[in-house]
Amino acid sequence: MIELRNVRKWYGEVKAVDGVSFAARPGEIFGLIGPNGAGKSTTIKMIMNILAPDSGEILFEGRRLGRRDKDAIGYLPEERGLYKKVKLGEMLAYLASLKNAEPAAAARRIARWLARFDLAEWKNRRCEDLSKGMAQKAQFIAAVAHDPPYLFLDEPFAGLDPVATDMLRETVLDMGREGKTILFSTHNMEVAERICSRIFLIDHGREVLSGSMDEVKARYGRNAVLAEFDGELDFTALAGLAANVIRYPRYVEIELGAGVSSQALLKELAARVTVRRFEVASPSLHKIFVQLVGRGRREAISNE
Amino acid sequence: MSRKLGRIMRMEFRLTTANKAFIVLTVLGPFLIVAVTVLPALLTMNQSGLGSPETRVAVVNADPVFLAGIEPALAQAGIRAFALTGDATELDARVLAEEFEGYLILPDDLAAATRIEYVSTNVSDIRATSALASVIGQSVVALRLANAGLPVEQVASIIQPPAVETRKLQRSGEKESQDFLTILFTGLTLVMLLYMTVLLYGQSIGRSVLNEKLSKTVEIMLSSVSPMDLLFGKVLGKGLASLVQYGVWIAVSLAFMKFVGPRLGVPLKLAITPATLGWLVVFFLLAFFLYSALYAGLGAASEDEQHLGQLAWPVIVFLVIPMVLISPILTAPNSVLVVGMSLFPLTGAVVMFMRILVGAAPTWQVWLSIGLQLVSIAAMIALSAKIFRIGILMSGRRFKLGEILRWISA
Repeated sequence: MIELRNVRKWYGEVKAVDGVSFAARPGEIFGLIGPNGAGKSTTIKMIMNILAPDSGEILFEGRRLGRRDKDAIGYLPEERGLYKKVKLGEMLAYLASLKNAEPAAAARRIARWLARFDLAEWKNRRCEDLSKGMAQKAQFIAAVAHDPPYLFLDEPFAGLDPVATDMLRETVLDMGREGKTILFSTHNMEVAERICSRIFLIDHGREVLSGSMDEVKARYGRNAVLAEFDGELDFTALAGLAANVIRYPRYVEIELGAGVSSQALLKELAARVTVRRFEVASPSLHKIFVQLVGRGRREAISNE
Repeated sequence: MSRKLGRIMRMEFRLTTANKAFIVLTVLGPFLIVAVTVLPALLTMNQSGLGSPETRVAVVNADPVFLAGIEPALAQAGIRAFALTGDATELDARVLAEEFEGYLILPDDLAAATRIEYVSTNVSDIRATSALASVIGQSVVALRLANAGLPVEQVASIIQPPAVETRKLQRSGEKESQDFLTILFTGLTLVMLLYMTVLLYGQSIGRSVLNEKLSKTVEIMLSSVSPMDLLFGKVLGKGLASLVQYGVWIAVSLAFMKFVGPRLGVPLKLAITPATLGWLVVFFLLAFFLYSALYAGLGAASEDEQHLGQLAWPVIVFLVIPMVLISPILTAPNSVLVVGMSLFPLTGAVVMFMRILVGAAPTWQVWLSIGLQLVSIAAMIALSAKIFRIGILMSGRRFKLGEILRWISA
């Protein structure tokens, strides 16, 4: 288990992380979620022992985090890179060796991962020859090649194509089921919603919200509707029924106004457009976040 | 040494030695050294060697006996003298037409001559002009002595000045025959080698550290190892590569001088002894670690190569100063300024090495210089480590030297 107690890190006047506490447990995919610049990466760097907190404590399996704990953690940093002139296989073996992995076992795991991510034939090519997507996958392999019980993934899906994204998501979910402790940082609420069992929403270096995904959803009620339809809809016509509308590329999420039943909304919609899907759902994480930190920050939060 | 440090060192060694520039420099280094050392020797060698074509000098108004007397001595210096008649205008034209290199007009009363004019298009050919001056001067003096009634057979021994030979007294009490030119060539060669390698390796460390930032590997590295392991791994890995390079250079150079040089008939007048090479390696290592520590800190603080260059210029100044002052250092190795520079850590390695080469450094000063450099290396590493820890994670802004100095005092 990794536990943060009132951890703080200021850069001069900028409060990057301002008194954050949470715990990530084995078998859990813990989402550290917030817009860009909220303090996620700084938090992870402190857990990785790359930055020292100004105050507060970071506990690793109940004791103070130390240098040797680095070997138990696999890290996929937001800033990614490999030595250009080194062959991929060698680079991965080198990074595993820096985690004190047993060479033969690490080599076997690397071969397995390369095969799984379709990179086997790139093993003897220089890292500079890899495409961006391949380099992303290679970086993930670098994080897991020493088979760490802890895994920190900082924006792991950034830059991946949909196939690779699905593959990586399956992999991460598998690792969670295997009992690894996974700390997952993203600014993408939808990704977080699909993958995390518990979340910690952070903004301006402070906690906005935390808890298990179910708890969070329950707390914010089931007053939202997801709708898909054909035809043009003038949303101002829904003013009396909807408190808020969030448009996604393929559907809309409508927050019901106070005292409005979902049936009333369905009738209204059916009268105007051809409804293809109508689902009473818990509000999306995105919506909860927007609700909590205000609409002013919506632009900073992506719906990719 | 931690295992991780060893692994970083090995990787840095591999990255350095697999580089094409490293291989080229390692292979070509000895040839460059030999070229720098042998070429001046070849150029100063006279006709009997592989030198330049002979210099043709017309002697006007020459007494045949006098001419016959100077011919052999001039021939030794690569000058062919022959009698000719004609006036100055005509002779000038023939020199310009490159029929011969120059002409001398001897006065009618040669024994009373106070000056003799040599006209040539090339007056900077010191070898030829000094040979002419000395051979003709001596012959005229001999003529005067003979005119004064001195027996001809005695004249030669009377005018023959004794040779003044320079012998270097070693600290060990041994004396060696060495002239200043030999010391200067050796000094120039080895000091140039020291200067070049320290500069190249220093910059290469700076770039290597900077590259961790540019290739964005720094976070993944620091998630596995401490900043200090990363810093030392890089410095030691490069240091090891540099020693391999030095080893190759020294071995090839020695082999060349021992086996190849004599066969080509090239007399290699070098003041290189095993002790000299030992000092070279010692002072290289001292300078290497001092400048590597400095450059590692600067590399961590810079944003790109250009920025690194800007930050590093004060460092380069200290390396260049001894190169600029190489002649005064070799000619006045015990002046206050030179002694001071040999003790000052940033110039100490190069200057003290030069003083040792000319045999001018008292033992206590050598050890004091080494001691001061070791202390500075320790201090510099602590200081650079601080810059490194802060600088390595910072990116996106170009820091000025002043700001970096503030990190140190923070």
